[in-house]
Order: sequence, then structure tokens, then C-alpha cells
Amino acid sequence: MSRQIVMTIDGRKITSREGEKLLWVALENDIYIPHLCAIKGQNKPFAGCRLCFVEVEGILQPVTACTQPVKAGMSVKTRTPAVDRLVRTAFELILSDHRLNCSRCSKNGSCQLRKIARERGLRLGLERLKPLPEKGQIDDSPRTFVFDPSRCVLCGRCVWADRQVAGVGAIGFSHRGIQRRVTTFAVRNLAESGCIECGLCVEACPVGALFFKEGKPGGKSLTDSI
Amino acid sequence: MDAALRKRAYAKLRSGAMEALKFLDEKPVVRVGTATCGKAAGALLIRDAFQEEINSKGIDARVVEVGCMGHCYAEPMAIISKPGFTPLCYGNLDEGLVKRLVEDFLLQDDPCYEFAMAALEPNDIFPTFQDFPRGVYEEKIILEYCGLIDPEEIDYYIAWGGYSALDKVLHMDPREVLQIVKASNLRGRGGAGFPAGIKWDVARKAGDGMKYVICNGDEGDPGAFMDRNILESNPHQVIEGMIICAYCVGASQGYIYIRSEYQQAIRRVKKAVRQAREKGLLGDFILGSDFCFDLHVFPGAGAFVCGEGTALVSSMEGGMGIPQYRPPELALSGYLGKPTVLNNVKTFCYIPHIIQKGTKWFKEIGTPGSPGTAVFALAGKIAAPGLVEVPMGTTLRQLIYDVGGGIPGDKKLKAVQIGGPSGGCLPGEALDLPVDFDSLKESGAMMGSGGIIVLNEDDCMVRMARFFLGFTQQESCGKCTFCRLGTRHMLQILDAVTRGEGDMDSLRVLRELAEDVKAGSLCNLGKTAPNPVLTTLKYFFHEYEAHIKEKRCPSLMCPNLIAYFIEPAKCSKLCNVCVGSCPVEAIYTRDDGLKAINQEKCVKCDNCLKTCPPEYSAVIKVSPPDLVREKEREMG
Amino acid sequence: MEKDAVIKNTREILKNHTAKPRNLIPVLHDLQEKFGYLPQPAMEEVAAALGIPAVDVYGIATFFNGFRLNPPGRHQIQVCMGTACYMAGGQIALDSFERRLKIRAGETTPDGEFSLEQAACVGCCSLAPVVVVDTFVEGKVTPTRVDGLLLSLGVAPEKQENRSSKKDN
Repeated sequence: MSRQIVMTIDGRKITSREGEKLLWVALENDIYIPHLCAIKGQNKPFAGCRLCFVEVEGILQPVTACTQPVKAGMSVKTRTPAVDRLVRTAFELILSDHRLNCSRCSKNGSCQLRKIARERGLRLGLERLKPLPEKGQIDDSPRTFVFDPSRCVLCGRCVWADRQVAGVGAIGFSHRGIQRRVTTFAVRNLAESGCIECGLCVEACPVGALFFKEGKPGGKSLTDSI
Repeated sequence: MDAALRKRAYAKLRSGAMEALKFLDEKPVVRVGTATCGKAAGALLIRDAFQEEINSKGIDARVVEVGCMGHCYAEPMAIISKPGFTPLCYGNLDEGLVKRLVEDFLLQDDPCYEFAMAALEPNDIFPTFQDFPRGVYEEKIILEYCGLIDPEEIDYYIAWGGYSALDKVLHMDPREVLQIVKASNLRGRGGAGFPAGIKWDVARKAGDGMKYVICNGDEGDPGAFMDRNILESNPHQVIEGMIICAYCVGASQGYIYIRSEYQQAIRRVKKAVRQAREKGLLGDFILGSDFCFDLHVFPGAGAFVCGEGTALVSSMEGGMGIPQYRPPELALSGYLGKPTVLNNVKTFCYIPHIIQKGTKWFKEIGTPGSPGTAVFALAGKIAAPGLVEVPMGTTLRQLIYDVGGGIPGDKKLKAVQIGGPSGGCLPGEALDLPVDFDSLKESGAMMGSGGIIVLNEDDCMVRMARFFLGFTQQESCGKCTFCRLGTRHMLQILDAVTRGEGDMDSLRVLRELAEDVKAGSLCNLGKTAPNPVLTTLKYFFHEYEAHIKEKRCPSLMCPNLIAYFIEPAKCSKLCNVCVGSCPVEAIYTRDDGLKAINQEKCVKCDNCLKTCPPEYSAVIKVSPPDLVREKEREMG
Repeated sequence: MEKDAVIKNTREILKNHTAKPRNLIPVLHDLQEKFGYLPQPAMEEVAAALGIPAVDVYGIATFFNGFRLNPPGRHQIQVCMGTACYMAGGQIALDSFERRLKIRAGETTPDGEFSLEQAACVGCCSLAPVVVVDTFVEGKVTPTRVDGLLLSLGVAPEKQENRSSKKDN
């Protein structure tokens, strides 16, 4: 796995370790690929947000960069008409299910959706789709943070932080399909859920679904993989 | 144990089974089909009626429950055999007919040919199923004993030669077994058609540790019931195929995953596993060999997506049924991270036959690319719905007209829905397509599970697309953006179209979304979910247009675009059936005695149309609904 | 059932399974067979016994169609929504039940008598549309037959006295 290989992304020659996932190789080399759910070091990529599409020479359809291992001589394009079309649709789909009120959102400055829009020249609004109904009640029961499910993009990063980093198990996914939610046991308040308010899930959230009540309190910071 | 002794183990089993079933040749036997479909048609009442009649007449005869022969249109069914007579099959039974058959056939010697459907063996007097027009096309391999043997009594399967393939395999090198399966080019019957031998090879080579064999019986297509039927009618065929697979790849544990809705299948397979264990066909030192393998039933919990392999495995591990990104393939890292062979029910069923009759025999059936047979569940607007097994490559036309008896009534075929929620709607022009794994893909549909729904002019294609999308949307696991949200938006657009609220631009968005969901989804559920929409857009665009531009449902099916109307010229005035049938009191009697419908109140339940006596047939549907006002003006 | 009794029964059921996460679905099947649904204290007990977060048990219970979080009605009515049934008027049958019972699919009547559910294919396509009342399968169901089925379960027909022979239109 540790063999060094040479490949190209958007015509640039890049040296990397064989088998690394393409998304991280690109990001380490300052080549931006949109992404929400990816977590570096995760064993099995979640591959749910469907934003990190790229085209790899020799593969007919665009593939997700978070799942694609790199190998010697690979030639990758991050922008092609097919890639742009999928990213545009995926992005608009996510926005249709994300309550857009950026001016009142405390994550305004760090929101990954805004970053994607800026990087890819996409509108932060809906062109073809109608907004979907909001996903549930705001939970501000924790002392330090708030959960607003209507902004949740179901990327699963908070659940990963809760389990794999904090080792708590207060939140998880429930239901399926359009009903799928990040929730506590039986949708109880977070304050009654066994949550220890470590804040790791808040830091893992790429959008404004989890945010601190008053700025960012001191505490250990999640390895920033974005 | 030496080979001679091993050989004797099976021979002993076989002779014991034949001995136990001697009564089949010695006394009259009534076999009643009590698979779920038969039960729904009242088979249990028929079984009890036979038993009561036989008891009350003091006849020395046995009533046996068997599975389903696939002739759904004739349920409830029974087969009566009596020494000296060709066994005969009777359909559409009721208690009166049961009484008659017991009195005339069992007590006396009149087989009541006027009520018989077919004989089971060739004879000079009565035609067999092979003599039916459909008999020309049917070729039963894995359905052969379904409906003939008692699935709850292992002796039947053994007496008919069951488990002899296992006995044969246990004397072979596992590599030889693999060679046979590979050479047969048996393709997985779950829908994708991946060669079973290649899967087995990967698992075989994946080390010497713990390995699993899993049978996928999570049949979720809402119009398919082949796997249920096989599990209910001949469970040992699946079990034998799985044991052979386990021997070939070196697995010691197996699971049969059956969807929770199939309660009777779960019960029967559990019983079959128990009996196989008692006979030494499962567990330690199978048939006296060194080979050890055991099998358990895992009832699912209700999720279509679990038909997808990684989702199925994840749910068996205690997780949600959520598909995982592949690779690794399950054959390398499956259940609990161990190499796992996952095949469909039908795939395992072919194995004993291929072992016994050889690859040459198997490859002579079907097409070169898709050898063997295909099992289909025929339903919808077809004269003889049911289960059929035909060689791969049979055309849709042969399936529908020759095997299924064509379209009932004076109606015209409009489309064939094949492959369920992952498949597509093909128009009449596609009827000459051969049905195999590859030809269908080119047309935009896919073989999928094998459900075939025949649609006629009364079936609205937009509604059909909406139905399937509603299904996949509900069954989406919700993990990935395209499937969770894309299908939702597509559904909203289709809903608007069926209400007459769509516009032509929304169809453009619908198509774009469909193409993107197909290209961008994580797993095959999402990737195939748009097929019903894409194929109807391709072949039936004019129906979409009619809904949007004319606010008209050409098939008179979409409730918002139709109205019910009672034709004054046909209404009898004296008859009050429609008034009584209306659940919302929307029908009233006018001063002149004619009946009329209050359109504001009508909920379009179809009841008045169904109950209006055929001699009047005064209730009609019109579309667009505004036509009613014109008609009302005409009548004043 | 009281909470203590639920927990006691749950522990009995857990004794029949090894305490591994992979036994979660089999355990939940057994619980539902015992209680008719999955009571919250039972789910928490199972989570503790299998060593997994309670929210994961809740996740599984809500993911699968087969699990219920609320007690079912005394009579369970399932309307088949398989392809053949849907095309043959399954939706019409479902509408009729919803109208008569004044509940939506997935709900239970306030008196706890009936719960109404959509079923994926029951596998009796030739009898479409099919309704399963408790364990009894009824084929070719029309709105009139819905009234008949409900009548046989003790639901009186809708009030007829307002029906007049004439209506101003």
C-alpha cells in the first residue's frame, strides 16, 4: 500500500501513495473536489452525499472520488460536463432539503454548502426543484449547542464523531428513505439522551444543523479533515 | 469412512423414503395445493372438505398438502391419484365438487373427466399439461416437483431422487464441482445475472477460514412470487443446492434469508432444515462423509433494499439494511467480514440438476449467453396468471399469448411491465424480444426478479410509473442523495401529472432527474429506480402529454382526471343499485326517475360502475371530467 | 403491560439468544411476537444486553416495515399494494377503508379496534385486489366488499338516514 505512484489530476502530475482514496490525494494537493460526508481515515467510505464525482480515464461513468483508490498512471478530470451535471443535481437536491436561511445561520462562514457553491459557481438556491417539507423540531436542550434537523444533510459525520471519536452513542440514524433522520433514542431531547456535550458532533457538522450556542467553547477539536 | 459405506448411507435413506411413501401407490391420495396463493383462494376449506367426506364415507384414502403448481388462475386445486387410474388435476374446486369427486371417483370409479384440468402422466384418455398450448413452451426444471410433493415431508424429495446430487458431489473433489458450475455458465437468478461459478471461485480461493453460504429469499418485487412458491413447495431443492455450494467453497455455516412477509415459507423451510438435520443431510459428517455444514433460517424484517446483497448482509449483522460501497465483494468479505457466497433461491435450485444431468444438458436449454430456464410470475390483464418456467430466450409474445393465454376480453395489450420496480414498461412492439439477461437491458428494461405484469388499454402508464416510483421511494434506504431526494422530487412531479397539474417543463426536469438518479446513485436500487419512468417517457410520452395538455387520462384511471356519469338513455330508472352502492351518497334519483351523480360528492370509488347491472351498463367514466358538464347540459 | 413486566419478559426472551449485535433482528422479532409491538423499555433493555446504543435499536425498529412502535389494533387490515393489486383497484380498496375507519394507512383507530396497513405483494396476484384481514385473505375486493368485511367485524354501515331520494343539484 505504501508504494509511491505518479498520476495526473486535471493534467497536473501528482505523487501519492498507491491505494489512497482519490479525494484525499486531490485535497492534499489543493485540488478541490466538492464533498460533505467524507471522513479521512474511515475504513469504509460512507459515499452518501454523491458530490465528489470525477472522471477517471478508462471508466465510462463518473465515479466518486471518496471511494476510488489511486494507482499508477491514473488520469483524472475533476471537471467534465458529465461530472458537472451530476454535481449540480446532487447539490440542488441537497439544497431542496436544507432550510436556507444563511443570514441567520451561525455556520455561515464555515458552511461547506457555501464553499461548494462558490468553488463550482452554483447557485445557493433552487432552479428546478421545489423545497421539501422541513424535517423536524429544533432541539436546543443541550447547554452548549443546538440541533436543527431542518438543516441536516444526513452526511453522518456527527454520528461518526459520536461513535468513533467520542465513544458515546447518543445519536444515530433512524427510519429510511425520505424519513431518514439523525436522532436520539425515540426522538428524546439531546439533554436526556446520554449526550455528554463534548461538542465533537458539532465540529463534525459541515453545515448549520449542529451549532454552538455562543461561539465555540474550548474543548478538543476534531481533526479537521475538510 | 470408506466410500462403500458412504454410498450405502444415501441408498439407505432413499429406500427408507420409498418405503415410507408406499401408500402413494397403494391407496387413493388427494393432494391439495396449500401454498399461500392456494390458501388465499380457500385451499384449507377444500382440504378439510376432502378429509370430512373421506372420513364420513369411511374410505381408505389420504389427504396430503402440497405446494403450488403455478396455475394461479385455477386455484384452489387438487390432484387425485388412485391405483389403476392416471392421476388427474382438478381446478376451481368448491365444496360441491369435492363431494362429487369423493363420491364418484374415490368411492366409485368415475374420474369425472368433465371437471378435470389435466392428467399428470401421458395416457390415452385425457390430455396432460404438456398437451396444453403452453406445454410447448414450458420446460420445468426447478418447478418440476412444485405442487406434486409434500414440502413438509422430506421423504417425498428423497424418494424422487432428491439429495442424490449431494451424494454424488461428496464423492468428488470440490474443485471438480466448481468446474461443473463454471462450465454450466449458470447465471445468478436474482436479476443481475452474474455467473455463479465466478462468485464461488472467489470465495473458494479466499483462504481456509470461516466462510458462509447465504440464500437470498428476500423477494421484494411487488409483483413476483417465484421464490416464495419454490420455498413453500420444494424447500429441499434449495437446501441441497446450498449444501453443494458449501462443499464446493468450503463453508461450514449457511443462512436462508426469507422476507418476513413470507410466514408460510419461513415455517416450511424451518421444518425442512430440521428434517434434513435429522436425516444426517445437515450437521456433522453429512451422509457419512467428513463434510460438516449447518443451515439456519433468518427471517427478514421488511425492507425491499435488503434484496441488495450488501444491505442483506448488513441487516443480518444487526445493522440497518443499508447498501455498502463495493468492493470488497461479498465473496471476499461478506457476513461478519468473512467470505460469503450469496445467491438467489432459484440459482441454488439449479445446482442439483446441473450436477446430476451435466453441463451439456443445461447449456442446450436457453440461449448461449443465458443458459437454462427462467421462471416468471405472470399477472395483470392476462387469461392464465401464474408461475411459468420457460427456456431463456422465449419471446414475450410466446409468454403472454401462448403460455399465459393472451389478454382476456376484447381488450388490447398496451404494455408489458417486466422486472418490477427496477425494470421497465415495454410497448407492444417489443413483444418479439427474447427474454434473457442481455436482450432486455438493451430495451431499457431488465429481467430483474421475473415479475411480468401485462397491461391493457385500461392501464394508465403515467400511473404505472408513479406506482413503481412510489414504491422505490418508500423503500429507498435514504443513505444517498440521489435515491433519497431525487426519487422524492420525481414522485412529486409524477403526482402533479396524474392530477393534471404538471407542465411540459416539469417533464424535462423529470427526465433530467431520472437520468441523474440512474447515473449517480450508490447502489442498484437507486440506479434502477428510474427505469419505469424512463421507459414510459420513451415509449408512452403521448400519455404524459395528454395528462398535461388536455387534462385527460387516456386510460380513464387517474381519479383527478375522470368523472363518473350515468347515461340517461341506458339507466333503468326502476333499479336503485347504484344509489345503494355509493358509499358517500353522491348518487340520487331525479324527479324524472333517472339516477344522477353529484360530482362534488363523488369520491370515484368505482362502485356504481361495478354494481350497475350488466343489462344496463349505464355508468361510464369520462375524461377530462369537464365532459360531464357537457353531457349534463345535453340531458337538461 | 407495566414497565416492570415488559422488562421481565424482555429478559426472558434475551435468554434464548446469545448477546451479540447480530441477533438484534431475531430478538426484535421475538419481542414483537410477545408484545405485538416494540415497547420503549424493551428496546432499551435489548440495547443494554447486546452492548449497543439504544438509538441503534430504535434505528433498526424504524428502518424495517415489519416492526411496530405502537400497539396494533385488535384487527389488522392489510391492503395489498403489489403491482397487480394496485392496477386492479387496490388504491380504491385502501381509500374505502380509510374513509370508513376514518384513519390513514399506518394508523390505528382511536378505540384500538382496527389498524390499517399497506402490504407489499402478498403473492396472490391472480385474486387482485387482495385484502388480508387478520390472517384471512380476501380476493377481488370492491368498496362494497369493504363494507361487508367491516360489517362482519362489527362495524355498522354508515348512517343511511340522511339519504334522500331527491337532491337539489
